Amino acid sequence: MAEAVSEGAEITVEKDRSGSGPGGLPLRGLFRTHVWPHRASLAAGAVFLALTNWLTVSIPGEIGRSVDALQRGLPVGGHALAIALMGAAIIVIRALSRILIFNPVRDMEYRFRQDFFAHLLRLPMAFWVTHRRGDIVSRAANDIGWVRVMVGYGGLQALNVSLALGLTGWKMVALSPRLTLLSVAPIAVGMAVVQWGIRRFIALFRRNQEQLGEISDHVLGSLQGMATIQGFAAEDAFTDRFRARNLDWLRTGMRMALVRSLAMPVLALSGGLAVGVLVAVGGAMVHAGTLSVGELTAFVALLMVLLPPLRSLGWLVSVAQRGRAALERLLEILQAPVPEESGATAAAATPGSGPGIMVKGLEFTYPGGAAPALEISGAVIPAGSMVGIFGRTGAGKSTLLRLLARLEEPPPGCLFVDGQDLVEIPLEAWRRRVVLVPQRPFLFSETVTFNVALTEEPDMERVRWAVGAAVLEDDLRALPEGLDTLVGERGVMLSGGQRQRVALARGLYRGGDLLLLDDVLSAVDHATETRLVETLEGLSGGPGHPTVVIASHRLSVLQRTGHVLVLDRGLLVDSGPFAEVVARPGPLRDVWLARRAGMADGGPVTGEAAS
Amino acid sequence: MRDLKLLGRLLPFLRKDAWAFAVALVLTPTAAGLSLLQPWLVKRAIDGHIVTGSMEGMGRLMVLYLGAVVGAWIVEAGYGLTLAWGGQRGIVRLRQALYEHLLRLPQSVLDRQPAGRLLTRITSDVDALGEAFSSGVVMILLDLLMIAGTVVAMALLDWRLTLFLLLLAPPFLAVLELLRRRLRTVFMAVRSALSAINSFLAERVDGVEVVQLYAHEEVAQRQFARLGRRFRDAATRSNVHDALTYALVDGASAMAVAAMVWFGSGGPGGLLGPLFHGSVSAGLLVAFIGYLDRLFRPLRELSGKVAVIQRGMASLAKVFELLDEPVPDPERGAPVEEVRGHLVLRDVRFAYPEGTDVIRGVDLEVRPGELVALVGATGSGKTTLTRLLDTSYGGYRGSILLDGRELASLAPRQVRRKVAGVRQDIQLFSDTLRFNVDLGNPAITLERCEAAARAVHADLVVERLGWEGVLRERGAGLSVGEGQLVTFARAMAHDPRVLILDEATASVDPVTERLIQEALGRLFEGRTVIVVAHRLSTVRNADRIVVMEAGRIVEQGTHHELMEAGGRYAALVRAGEAFLAA
Ligand SMILES: Nc1ncnc2c1ncn2[C@@H]1O[C@H](COP(=O)(O)OP(=O)(O)OP(=O)(O)O)[C@@H](O)[C@H]1O
Ligand SMILES: Nc1ncnc2c1ncn2[C@@H]1O[C@H](COP(=O)(O)OP(=O)(O)OP(=O)(O)O)[C@@H](O)[C@H]1O
Ligand SMILES: [Mg+2]
Ligand SMILES: [Mg+2]
Repeated sequence: MAEAVSEGAEITVEKDRSGSGPGGLPLRGLFRTHVWPHRASLAAGAVFLALTNWLTVSIPGEIGRSVDALQRGLPVGGHALAIALMGAAIIVIRALSRILIFNPVRDMEYRFRQDFFAHLLRLPMAFWVTHRRGDIVSRAANDIGWVRVMVGYGGLQALNVSLALGLTGWKMVALSPRLTLLSVAPIAVGMAVVQWGIRRFIALFRRNQEQLGEISDHVLGSLQGMATIQGFAAEDAFTDRFRARNLDWLRTGMRMALVRSLAMPVLALSGGLAVGVLVAVGGAMVHAGTLSVGELTAFVALLMVLLPPLRSLGWLVSVAQRGRAALERLLEILQAPVPEESGATAAAATPGSGPGIMVKGLEFTYPGGAAPALEISGAVIPAGSMVGIFGRTGAGKSTLLRLLARLEEPPPGCLFVDGQDLVEIPLEAWRRRVVLVPQRPFLFSETVTFNVALTEEPDMERVRWAVGAAVLEDDLRALPEGLDTLVGERGVMLSGGQRQRVALARGLYRGGDLLLLDDVLSAVDHATETRLVETLEGLSGGPGHPTVVIASHRLSVLQRTGHVLVLDRGLLVDSGPFAEVVARPGPLRDVWLARRAGMADGGPVTGEAAS
Repeated sequence: MRDLKLLGRLLPFLRKDAWAFAVALVLTPTAAGLSLLQPWLVKRAIDGHIVTGSMEGMGRLMVLYLGAVVGAWIVEAGYGLTLAWGGQRGIVRLRQALYEHLLRLPQSVLDRQPAGRLLTRITSDVDALGEAFSSGVVMILLDLLMIAGTVVAMALLDWRLTLFLLLLAPPFLAVLELLRRRLRTVFMAVRSALSAINSFLAERVDGVEVVQLYAHEEVAQRQFARLGRRFRDAATRSNVHDALTYALVDGASAMAVAAMVWFGSGGPGGLLGPLFHGSVSAGLLVAFIGYLDRLFRPLRELSGKVAVIQRGMASLAKVFELLDEPVPDPERGAPVEEVRGHLVLRDVRFAYPEGTDVIRGVDLEVRPGELVALVGATGSGKTTLTRLLDTSYGGYRGSILLDGRELASLAPRQVRRKVAGVRQDIQLFSDTLRFNVDLGNPAITLERCEAAARAVHADLVVERLGWEGVLRERGAGLSVGEGQLVTFARAMAHDPRVLILDEATASVDPVTERLIQEALGRLFEGRTVIVVAHRLSTVRNADRIVVMEAGRIVEQGTHHELMEAGGRYAALVRAGEAFLAA
């Protein structure tokens, strides 16, 4: 019993320690922002809780007195009335204590979840590539709930249990120290066993949660690739993999059940033993005349009062441990650093006009990557120009664009925007100027309008313009509700080309000084492509206009850009005006010649033509 | 009633472990009996020995008591174990069945089900069900048994006192029931608010790149806050009900004791005196306090259990709603053995559920071994047409004949073994590279995987990752083109008779693309191939080019024929080649 209480104390101590830890996300800060504002309600709740406990332990004494009165044939009406009044008071006060304590905790949970979400949205890509998203979502969904239970239920019960144990213990000692010692002994042993059980249980619980996480990931993966699974009749392999995970989960679950079934009822066992000891020893004492029957009755009643908080103590410890495990998992994420405005002293270079970009000695390796994905000794993207990037699959085009958008963090001193080191520009200010339309479009399961504007109060004028500029009007006419059509998860209700153009319209709606388009014309036909390129040409074009960078595999697109960069296996192998680059030997020329040959004879394109 | 029927549907999953439940069923009354025996023995000890002072026989009584206490523990443990055994195995079976069901859901249904919701069915819902089952339904059975047993035991001890106490019960129970009902509705609100929070969060996490790139954080946070507040307010309301229930039970148990003492002493104004005079002994009072504790303990935990059960019942309903979603048996239909790859489409029409026709009368014949290209504006229905051919969507009108047999009459899974290819959206699994190519098909050897990877020039990826290297979620860690090559290798390794390539090289550079085409020509000599492509340079050497527009075929012929005809195709080609002339 004493052990268990100190366990609770240990938790708070640990919290404090991590609170003052260097660089740790301040639990103290969390306390100040989330708990402190509710102090009045919480304090009132605690007072009410203490009152309830005092009332609860007062009742057995009253019972004892009425038994003695009964024995002596005295009237007991007064005692009965007192007990009844205490009962009535308990109803009101206990309800109030629970409401006053639990409701603020709900608000804390809300704020905490809000913070967590805000933090998630700001975590850099480097974080996301090393964490499974399903796992993160499950932490937000389940672990925050566990922390809330620990703070609310756990806090209340901790107070409750310590008050109840303290008061009951005190009353018991006042009645008979010897009986107290004797009856508490089996309970202490029982608590120790339960303690051990809970520890095992929590370890298994953690394993079980992880296994459930694996099941979730498997299911999500299957759902995302369902067309492939069904299309290749590969259901059996996936079913087998699922079964293996399911059975792992079962094994842990059964071990949990074993611990729970054996260890948890030990408390009832020891409670029963305590009553037995009480009756045997107490009976002897009554016999010897050192204890009245009424006192013995009161003692048994006190033990009955003692048992429920002890039972909750068992759960309290398990709740605290689960809560702690959950909090650790959450802090792990909350402590993951978001991009700091490291020395973000440099003022954002003049927004409102396309920046010129200079690359100097850039070498970039993905976290965990073996070789650099990109090594560019020098390149220039003139202000307000439209530049194309060409390169074979995996050459590093997307990597370059992601670095420019600072989705990946470039090393310092490599990328310069209007002469200023990119990493020194405050991220937020830079993000306001740059727009990247990613290679794989991502749509939210909302309306087309929301997906384009990404706000709930869209500027409809601009939405219509963006949609028009992305050549989506005809498609929208065919959709059931036009701009208000719900596109389904990831846009399943749209065709590949439509998805891509909605994502492009989003980029156009937002606008910016630097437009980075990552292969955004790969899923459109040539006629649509021509119109899109014209739109883009209209956007850029000299100083004062946005700078546009397009990665593409299509010569027809690249040729329309003023300037091309040719990448090969992470190296910049050529750059310059399209006409010049295509005149020099290199990958671009190979493709060009092949296309020319294809056009000239109209026959099958052969490999030789390319060499 | 409806709840019972729902519960009945669980039976098939539990039946295999019927013995475990039978054992638990026997142990239940035993546990209750042993537990109820204890206060009675205590009463006997106090009234029969302690008060009277005759210690004879007290020892035997104490041994009996000890037996009851230890016996109760053993029985309770055995009971918990057998239940967990039966229950958890049932849960695992249910989950497996759900997953297998999921794998059979037609695409048209999957399109309309958020992944998060289906995931909830298979994880949280099944979990809630297990919880409701083990700590809810069964516990409540035990509780009810305990309550009934307690009342009987009390009545045996002193029926008059018991009767008086029972007379107090109805108003108390009425209030409790009222609270429970309110709690139920509030609970529904809590649940739906929570699931809204979770699916919103999951989607934003999925698209976190876009959120960051478009500085969408604040808007998303505002939306999330709205959902969060909805949840908080509902939870707060449920809290109030919960607190009231809990406090009511707590206070009522004290009031019951008061009533007992009062009645025992003769009731109001000693009116009942004659009835009780001298009958309420100290031992009786102690025993009744013990019994009252056993009576109120389950009630006190009732609100919690009701919540668990209600969550469980709601989950049960949702789980069976999903299981009741009709799924076609993919093995049902005429068997498909050898496929030559002859396709005939006659006036084929198709609409997605709740949509207008997307395919509007397509007539097309593809002869065995022919390479046919489908081209046309985006959104014209090319992908949809291929989805009909590989049976991912059923329910077309008109007729599609595969080697002269109606496609809809054939077993879909057997068709899929022969008709497959590369899909427009790149689907990768976070599993080994090898698994991503062979999809666990034991007939596909490593050599075949290697040959496939070479054919599509994915060697670099293989070299970097190794066949046992594990891909990250949705192919993060590969360039988009590399991911597409892996899916292409998958199609090659499966070696279908009819190969469908839907924009299979859209994200691949033209050099690699041409190399793949050559390999394809060699490897798929004599096979039927259908290619969908926007980059027209890739389809120039097709045997036939079919141009689609708004769900119809508007032109077909070879490249030369179509160029000569000077129609849509020629216009598209000119748009794509205008730059060459420059
Ligand atoms: N799952 C779906 N549910 C409802 N409508 C859909 C679905 N998939 C596609 N559509 C609609 O059907 C039409 C045809 O789409 P489809 O994907 O067949 O076009 P596509 O010719 O392949 O176009 P793209 O070249 O852009 O890939 C589009 O208007 C699209 O909005
Ligand atoms: N997150 C990542 N972690 C590790 N390596 C990566 C990651 N993303 C890409 N790579 C690797 O970096 C190289 C460059 O990838 P990138 O996406 O920039 O190519 P790309 O030129 O855009 O190709 P594509 O034409 O296929 O889009 C590739 O070899 C790729 O496998
Ligand atoms: Mg790329
Ligand atoms: Mg398509």
